[in-house]
Amino acid sequence: MNRLPLLIRMAWRNLWRHPPRTLLILFAFVLGVWSIVVLAAYGRGALEQQIERSIDNLTAHVQIHATGYRDDPVIDHRLPPPGPALRTALAQADVTAWAARVRVPAVVASERESAGIVLVGIEPARERGLSFIAEAVHAGRYLDADDDPGLLLGRKLAERLETGLGRRVVVMSQDANNQIADRGFRVVGIFDGSPEAMETGYVFIGRATAQQMLKLGDSVSELAVLASSRDRLDGLVMRLRAASPESDVQPWTTLEPLLVLAEELSGTILTIWYLIVFTAMSFGLVNTLLMAVFERIREFGLFQALGMPPRLILGMVLAESVILLALALTVGNLLAGATLLSLKGGIDLSAFAEGLEMFGFSPIIYPMITAADFVTANVLVFVLGVVACLYPAWRAARYAPVQAITRI
Amino acid sequence: MSLLFWGTATAAPPEDAAAIVKRAIDYWRDVSSYSVIDMTIHRPDWERTMTIRIWTRGQKESLVRVVAPPKDAGNATLLLDNDMWSFTPKINRVIKIPSSMMNQSWMGSDFSNNDLAKADDLIEQYTHKLLRTGTHDGRKVYVIDSTPKETAPVVWGHEVIAIRDDWLILEHAFYDQQNVLVKKLVTSDIRPMGGKLVAARERMQKLDKPGEWTEVVTREVRFNIPIAAGTFTLSNLRNPRE
Repeated sequence: MNRLPLLIRMAWRNLWRHPPRTLLILFAFVLGVWSIVVLAAYGRGALEQQIERSIDNLTAHVQIHATGYRDDPVIDHRLPPPGPALRTALAQADVTAWAARVRVPAVVASERESAGIVLVGIEPARERGLSFIAEAVHAGRYLDADDDPGLLLGRKLAERLETGLGRRVVVMSQDANNQIADRGFRVVGIFDGSPEAMETGYVFIGRATAQQMLKLGDSVSELAVLASSRDRLDGLVMRLRAASPESDVQPWTTLEPLLVLAEELSGTILTIWYLIVFTAMSFGLVNTLLMAVFERIREFGLFQALGMPPRLILGMVLAESVILLALALTVGNLLAGATLLSLKGGIDLSAFAEGLEMFGFSPIIYPMITAADFVTANVLVFVLGVVACLYPAWRAARYAPVQAITRI
Repeated sequence: MSLLFWGTATAAPPEDAAAIVKRAIDYWRDVSSYSVIDMTIHRPDWERTMTIRIWTRGQKESLVRVVAPPKDAGNATLLLDNDMWSFTPKINRVIKIPSSMMNQSWMGSDFSNNDLAKADDLIEQYTHKLLRTGTHDGRKVYVIDSTPKETAPVVWGHEVIAIRDDWLILEHAFYDQQNVLVKKLVTSDIRPMGGKLVAARERMQKLDKPGEWTEVVTREVRFNIPIAAGTFTLSNLRNPRE
């Protein structure tokens, strides 16, 4: 085994027999590794933002509804206010925040226009830290109390309704007795939302005001629960189900199946991207090594004639590829790291904002690299690279010495 | 309304504006009524006229049925308090107008479903103030400013209603919350019909669309008449028995 340093030294020197060729393939590999890591970080960042935003946009981590609400979110599917058992279950350490909401389809009308929206009755204090709305009011004020008489309107919706801060709008919906419920509200705050559908699709009022308007008594439509982490919610969900057996307790993965799908899809796309980039790189690598092997046939013949066993020749060629891969991965990762560091402030894609909005992406994407993505990319490139080099190495090792030496 | 001459604002008007509005609405609706009207919807490139029969009882019950042209005949609307149902013979269905559609146009006219259903909100949901008085055809006219209460389901900033001292509504203007006139109902052709004076012609005009208006001409009207017990029911809406 004391031959290993010798092999590595020979491999290293062999690599630099033709510096341009080695540098070229090194450059190709660095580019490949760089693109894999940067793209993975970009994809992960975009996805992470999409999930976090969706959770922020009223989804939270766990929601409790009356059975049937998710299929038909109407006023008939309502919940009693949380009882002592549920309150105890919600008071545990793994729950960061929870709030009750009234959430029904409604129509908001101004003097000139009307629009279909989801009317959300919120508990302003509890909603802080639970969803986006508390921090989203950019003009006017946030709601003060559960029975605040005011209404929060999205910026885009206010434009569409040709109304504004301080003006009155009328909200119409159906009350608990299936009668038309309508009431005038003064717009006390204008909020920003992202995607734009949050601004045009939701209108916020106080929970108690909503209950009074809709003759709900103390019933609500949903309880939203934020846990300390969005992963491993099973325990919390089981506990809430046990505490409130007659209602429908679901984690965000069930409430937003599209997000889970996006997560899986982006993983698959990244893997396919790894493989495409890798395939392109490996052709170059195999070709380079084959060239290096072919021009050294006489040399290999001589080595063998001098008593070097074929497995060491195989080892030497493999060592060349390992050194090449290690160099490429180091430089590629460093470059990718530098790129990601310089993009820390986010990649501004505002020019395509409208198209991105459609898919729920925000115009500024903050790349994010996870250890798993990083290790996957590196291990994949390294292992597949070594495997690809087995062929030229195997070719080098199986020349018969006499033929190899006499070959011109 | 060239006949209308606004007088100077009177200091501290003694008349109770809310009472005047209530009297005008009561006069308009009466205890019960039956009328036949022609409704003309005018647009820059087309115009059509429907003949409609209307039954009302008190403030809360109305039934509206289209009799001509044949294309629209049979379309009917029933109003009970704030709820509204519509019947279309072509699909033979009664549809409850959901809250989402209350702001939409009624039968393509410049009246919204809400204009029909909520006409008497004026009494309960507004505060009234006498702006000034004027004269019209030698009679006194009260010009009343009606502002919806804070939680009233009314989008308007305020409304200005001109009511003559024989309780005829001459003009009803709707202002948005920036005090811009949005639409205006003007009545004319005042003559005796069904035993009392009636403004036989009403025109609803949206200010931003001068080429579009809806005019209602009353052809026949009777007041304070007995109305069959089952008139304001869903079954009568679907299967007319009059």
